[in-house]
Amino acid sequence: MTAPALRRSATHPFWQAVGILVIAYIVVVWVVPLLPGSAIVPKSVVLQYMVTVLVGVLIYVSDNEERWARFKEPIEAVLAEPRLRVVRAVLLVVVTALVGLVAYGQVATTVAAPPNLRSIHPAPPAEITFRGRSITLTGLENPLRAHPESLALYLAEGKGVYYRNCLPCHGDHLDGQGHFASGFNPLPANFQDNGTIAQLTESFVFWRVAKGGPGLPREGTPWNSAMPKWEDFLTEREIWSVILFLYDQTGWTPRTWEKTGTGDGGRGTGHD
Amino acid sequence: MWATNLKVVGIVLGTLALYTLIANKIPQVQSEVPQTLTLGANVTPEQLVAAGEKVFNGIGGCPTCHGLGTRAPNLLTDEKGTGPIGARCGKREAGKSCKQYLYESLDNPTAFVVTGYQPIMPVMTRQLSPEQIWSVIAFLESQGGTVDVTGDDVAKAKQLTPGASPANSGGSPGGGAFAAGSTDPKAIIQAAGCLACHKLDGQGQVIAPDLTHVGARRDAESIRKKILDPASSIAKGYEKLAGIMPKTFGTMMSAAQLEALVQYLAGHK
Amino acid sequence: MTDGALLLQAAADSTRAYGEFPVIGARAFIWITAEVHLMFAAFVLGVPMFAVVTEAIGIFGGDERYDRLSKEFTRLLLVAYSATAIWGAMLVFGLSTLYPRFWAYLTAIFAPSMWAYAALFLVESFTLYLYYYGWDRWKKGRAKLGHWTLGILLNLWGTIVMFIANSWLTYMMSPPRDITPTTDPTTIKLWHAIANATWMPINVHRVIANVVFGGAIVGAYASYRFLAAQSDEERAHYDWMGYVGNFIAMSALIVLPFAGYWLGREIYQYDQSMGITMMGGFMSWLWVIQAFLIAVLFLTGNYYLWIGMGRIPGAERFRPYTKYLLIVLVLGAIVWGTPHTMIADSKELAAMGGSHHPFLGALGVMSAKNTAVNLMILTTFLSFLLYRRANTRPVVPWARGGTIIQGAMFALAAGVVLFYGIRGYFVEAIVRIGFSVYQVLAVLSCIVFVTVIDVLMARGAQSLGTIQWGKMPPRSQYALFILAVTFTWLMGLMGFARSGIRQYWHVWQVMQDTSKYAATPALGYASKMISLCVLIFLTLVAFVFWLGGLAEKSTFVASGERQGGGRHVGH
Repeated sequence: MTAPALRRSATHPFWQAVGILVIAYIVVVWVVPLLPGSAIVPKSVVLQYMVTVLVGVLIYVSDNEERWARFKEPIEAVLAEPRLRVVRAVLLVVVTALVGLVAYGQVATTVAAPPNLRSIHPAPPAEITFRGRSITLTGLENPLRAHPESLALYLAEGKGVYYRNCLPCHGDHLDGQGHFASGFNPLPANFQDNGTIAQLTESFVFWRVAKGGPGLPREGTPWNSAMPKWEDFLTEREIWSVILFLYDQTGWTPRTWEKTGTGDGGRGTGHD
Repeated sequence: MWATNLKVVGIVLGTLALYTLIANKIPQVQSEVPQTLTLGANVTPEQLVAAGEKVFNGIGGCPTCHGLGTRAPNLLTDEKGTGPIGARCGKREAGKSCKQYLYESLDNPTAFVVTGYQPIMPVMTRQLSPEQIWSVIAFLESQGGTVDVTGDDVAKAKQLTPGASPANSGGSPGGGAFAAGSTDPKAIIQAAGCLACHKLDGQGQVIAPDLTHVGARRDAESIRKKILDPASSIAKGYEKLAGIMPKTFGTMMSAAQLEALVQYLAGHK
Repeated sequence: MTDGALLLQAAADSTRAYGEFPVIGARAFIWITAEVHLMFAAFVLGVPMFAVVTEAIGIFGGDERYDRLSKEFTRLLLVAYSATAIWGAMLVFGLSTLYPRFWAYLTAIFAPSMWAYAALFLVESFTLYLYYYGWDRWKKGRAKLGHWTLGILLNLWGTIVMFIANSWLTYMMSPPRDITPTTDPTTIKLWHAIANATWMPINVHRVIANVVFGGAIVGAYASYRFLAAQSDEERAHYDWMGYVGNFIAMSALIVLPFAGYWLGREIYQYDQSMGITMMGGFMSWLWVIQAFLIAVLFLTGNYYLWIGMGRIPGAERFRPYTKYLLIVLVLGAIVWGTPHTMIADSKELAAMGGSHHPFLGALGVMSAKNTAVNLMILTTFLSFLLYRRANTRPVVPWARGGTIIQGAMFALAAGVVLFYGIRGYFVEAIVRIGFSVYQVLAVLSCIVFVTVIDVLMARGAQSLGTIQWGKMPPRSQYALFILAVTFTWLMGLMGFARSGIRQYWHVWQVMQDTSKYAATPALGYASKMISLCVLIFLTLVAFVFWLGGLAEKSTFVASGERQGGGRHVGH
């Protein structure tokens, strides 16, 4: 292709549209994973991004009469013009093959587990039974934080609890990369990630530690986590101290409870 | 004009189809309804009986004593020609219907004790919810008799029970821990009915080994193991009775209760 | 427990708790009747607002086109009213036969308000009759103002009726905290039950949403008439009507997220676990779907405006810039739609180290989404501004300075939004929630001040030629259809969200749903129900429009006849 022809193509809406789609695909599939600390983008998200870009491209080529007419030119030409018979035939074969391929991909059996959605942060119950005692989770703070003077002691205790119990799965760096981690689905939580404990109240973490995988509501399935029910092995204080340790070590601050306003007309929020 | 109409219809249907497709493509999650034993007013006898059978064999732990016929009457088989419990319950106590008799024996077991047996049965209404109690009664009635327990009985019992809380969301449903979770070892022993077989400090039966000096024979670890897995070790001279001690105590007690009990027994040297 | 409660309990126990509806089941029946009733109700509340506003523009602006537009819609209201009443009656009969115990509970608390509801509905209907049939009678001077007052009254009654109905359903969602399962419903003070935590937020949210909905349906009506039009003049009339409908829908849509935000906050304050169920629990995927729909609305709305620039002489000056707006919108849609928890197979999960993407996951959190949606709102507003400006050249001496100030305001608002969006990553959640308020305030104040400047600047502006109404390609009209369908579907979806977060409760933590339909269904099933409801509604609305056309073909009046006396002439 000569330089002027290339330039003409670059200003033609049809080839612009194709170009934008190709570039977007390259960016999402190959460039994003190259960024520091990044990883491959799941297929579902690639599809979602590409559909959004496609809609944008279609809007671009059709929001102006002249551009829309030019955009349609090559398509109409391929469909109708006699001199493009070969292109038409090739296109027909390629499109048919593509549809077949997609259909095959949908029905072919694979050994991989199907994609699944677990709700990482299922809604916690308002109260739980911890070793036969009721604990109200709503509005609950870490009781150990009420004694700032002995915080260092609690942290040391929490550290011990962590290294005795949590290390094999959650790892030395608290990043969910323990020795056994690769054997689990779902993977152990990565506390360093900004999407786990950084988003949660300490009472939520307490609930998850105390009740473990068996205590997950159904929205946390299909595959229940292998996290044990730690209330059978740890005391309440040990759990609170290990939570203290998690936040201290990762540098996250726990989510705090919203200040409940004093409402009128029985909009009671604080009392219950 | 028809072309326009068709196009409009096509666009509307296409948009709807697209949205429906997307919503169906994502993983489907239904909300969860807590599986508490809630027996409403319109509960059928079949439902009660089915629920009662589960309680009888499961959380209630009834076959421990009532399945053998040595420590307590066997409820599911014929007794001296009077038939299983559903058939004989109405004739046990004068003036008490089958339902009343069964409720009394669960609520106040010492009020009437069948001749030839000891008053060793724990008060079941302290351990089981009204729903569970009434479903057990329905199950027992179904053994050779007619079921006349209705949803009303459950509703009434629920109102009488102080502190009958609304279904608590989450947590472990059903079956209360022994003695309302108390960690007083004496209360646990009382509620668990240990003395129905064992003797401790001069009280209780002699079916199973005397526990008064158990701490001298076993250490805490061994006692804990024995409670959690009774088949793990059998005391000398009691081999024939292996398998009688219920295996369910571990699941019926909280960890704290178990620990309190173990330490208490280990202290009996 | 009081004797009254015991009696009530006994009565409740002796009545059947649930009925069953053949084939589709009790829940599906209630779902369909409630949703279609609600859509019609939104229609008959949204369209009068539209009618009163356009009538006022006609009266005070002196443009008679608006008056006719207003009347054309009031005519459609008459049939829509009976449709609303029919579906409402079906809903009430459905509730009392399929959910008798729950219905008894609700009536025990709300009976007086239900009587008031019925009475007001009657008054409202008669106001509507007077409003429509008196249109040509009270046409001039004082009488016209009186007629307009009737329109305002119509809206007032309608709004009160809606507020009353809202109190019932918000009570189901957020009963005051002192009400427990053992509270005797007859002892609950009516006002106490009405003024519950989510009542006002829902009221405000629904009023705004009704305006959006009314505008969208008007737009769809006009676009259909446009496509069916026989002459250029008729096409011009309906093109203009579609534009007005779309304009009203989009303007109200811009404020709707703020009302939704208030509602969400109240839900969180009322019960944190309800809030988490809504945003992070099994419903979290609903918000990805909602994000998709909102992105469709923004893109389609802007698309319509940009195509519309084709009919405006002078718009070619701004054409080159729309592609940058489009880029912002597409990027915004991408961020706005990025899920926090991604669907991935096990290999992808292992590579990502969990279902949060280590890099894109940062786009899935609230900070990013708030930033994206605020920028999308700003962009849409800018689109409107360019559209408005397209036809004119300002003549006021400070025009240049004014434009620079407007630009600076946009830049400032975008800067504030971005600043707090990025800063949100470095602060704890409780502070982050507060940031969204600053973002919203920046955007809102930008919209207000820029509009004021623009209105002042447009004084005596020089026109660059008449707008060629009707010079629109058919795809612009299909865009209006997509808007209307999307609005309606979105309404169904949000209704499912609001009602679904109660999960297995009829009345949250007061009255449990023990029927076999207690579990909230998955989104796939819900989407089928929503599509079905939208289809029923749109089919009936098409029928209503067709009826309107039977009586009187159109309100379009050819220019020659208009000079003759402005009577409505059928085609």
